[in-house]
Formats: sequence, structure tokens, C-alpha cells
Amino acid sequence: MDDDLIQLEAELQRLQPAPLSAALTRRIATDLGASPAATSAPIYRLWSWIALPAAAAMAALLVQLAESRLAREPALSAAPTGEVGVVVAGDEAPYRPVAAENVLVAARDEGLVTLDDGTPARRRRLHFVDTITWRDPRTNASITWSLPREEVRVVPVAFQ
Amino acid sequence: MEDATHHAAWQDWLQRYGPRLLLCARQWTRSRADAEDVVQEAFVRYWRHQRALPGDPMALMVTSVRRAAFDLARRDDRRAARDGRAGMAEDPVCAFECALDGQERRAAVEDAVGRLPAEQREVLVLKIWGELTFEQIAAALELSPHTVASRYRYALNSLRTELAAADCHGR
Repeated sequence: MDDDLIQLEAELQRLQPAPLSAALTRRIATDLGASPAATSAPIYRLWSWIALPAAAAMAALLVQLAESRLAREPALSAAPTGEVGVVVAGDEAPYRPVAAENVLVAARDEGLVTLDDGTPARRRRLHFVDTITWRDPRTNASITWSLPREEVRVVPVAFQ
Repeated sequence: MEDATHHAAWQDWLQRYGPRLLLCARQWTRSRADAEDVVQEAFVRYWRHQRALPGDPMALMVTSVRRAAFDLARRDDRRAARDGRAGMAEDPVCAFECALDGQERRAAVEDAVGRLPAEQREVLVLKIWGELTFEQIAAALELSPHTVASRYRYALNSLRTELAAADCHGR
């Protein structure tokens, strides 16, 4: 880059972005204050293992409940009571899982370790972000849930 | 005590990185209000769930902000299509403190940055004010570092031309 561009770059760097509004800071404070944000990372990871399958099971259960209810009470769903029937069915939105992905965001090789039986092994620590999407086919509304996950892999090493 | 420490920690972090994040968010949103929504969503998500992740927090936040901005844009587009209205008018993209010698010069720079092609402007903003490396920008935008570096050079050249023209017209 020539001197002109370097000077221009320096001039741009002196230009500071405007500070955040007080309203935005308050909104964030409210969000963080109302959440279990102080939870430590290891405990959070433990919960993420439990919460993910639990949420999937809950979604499946809701779908089943909605279907069985509609099967048992066709008259109510089709009744000309109109809005009441719609509201009852809408209370149990049939969200279905439509996509799931694991993105590997970081991997660290922690070197060789020795297992209890004396076998040498290599330990790798992997960080993923799991994303699951549920969709309501009637309204096309969707819910996406992203969770970080840590995985430790210990692979026995064979020296040849 | 822990709550107080936690509170101070996120406030320090937000004070330091927030303005830069907001500026980055404005590259991908239609208004300042949208950009604030996106920063709020990404920051809260980061602070609750992603602090333990390795890597540069700013790079992670930029990626998160960009994703949230695209989600918001998709929702807005769907809503606009349902309502049968056209897309919203765009606010000016940049917002800076008056830190340069003259207000006119600051306005000229801001105006010139705002008129850059979007793909050049986002690279410029992420490099200068996001303080990301070309590699980090490339990862965030899913481009090659070479493309990112080229766009950055084009952006600086365009700015130089624009500002020289503005100077000639008496600013």
C-alpha cells in the first residue's frame, strides 16, 4: 500500500464508532439479569447434554399428544364453534424437528495419555455447536436452538 | 459477589466491543434499531452460552451477529411478502463519534464509506473497526483471505478517490 492509503487507514482508525445507547444496554442487562447467566461453564455443559434430548423428547411428546387428541376428538376439531376449536388445536403447535447439524468450531490435541490398563492413547478435545430446528408446517414458523458442546475423544495408539 | 463480578464483566466487555459490534451489525441490517436487536440477541447468546468457546471473542461475536442479522432479514422479507409491501428504506450505514479534526471531514468520510459497494464496505468495517485479521474476516464472510484483501484495497482506493473529489468541491 502506498503512503496515501496508509494515511487514510490511520484516519479511519481514529474515527470511533458511536457508543451504544443506554436503552440497548438496559435491554441486555434485563436479558442477562433474568437468566441463569452466572452459571459456570462446566455445569452448563452438563445441562446441555441433558437439555438437548429432553427438549427433543418434549417436542415429540407434544406432537403425539396433539395427534392423539385430534384423533379422539374429531367432532370438537371440526365443530362449527369456529374460533374455540382453532384455539384448542393451536395451543399444541405441532413443531417437528426438521434439521440438525453439528459444527466443529475447534479441536485441540492434548497429547498422549496412558489409560488404566497401560495402553497409550491420544486425547483430543473437540468443541461443537449443535443446532436443531423445529418447524410448524401449518404456519411455517420455526424455532432454532444452538448449543455449544464439548467432546473428549481418547483413541488408543498403536506403535508399529 | 459473584453476581456483581459477573455484571461488571459483561458491562466492561460490552463497553469495549459493543460500539464496534453495532457498527458491524449495521452493515447487514436495514436500520439502527434492527442492528441493536441483532447485537442484543448475539451478545446475550454469547454471554450465556458461548464464552467457554476458544478463539477470539470478537471474531466469534461478528459471526454470531451476522447470522442473527440474516435471520432477521429473512423474517422481515417473509413478513413484507405476506403484507404485500416493499422492503424498508435503508438508514445511513455508518455512525461515528466526532473524533476527526473537523465535523465536515468526518461527515465526508462517513458519507464516502456509506456509498461504498456493500461487499467492500463490510470488509472495510470488519478490518478497521472490528479489528479482525483478513483470515478472521474470510472465515466470518465465508470467502478466501485473498478476496477479502482485494476488497479491502478496492475499498481504500475508492475512498481515496471519493474524498479527493469531495476536497476539490470545496469541503
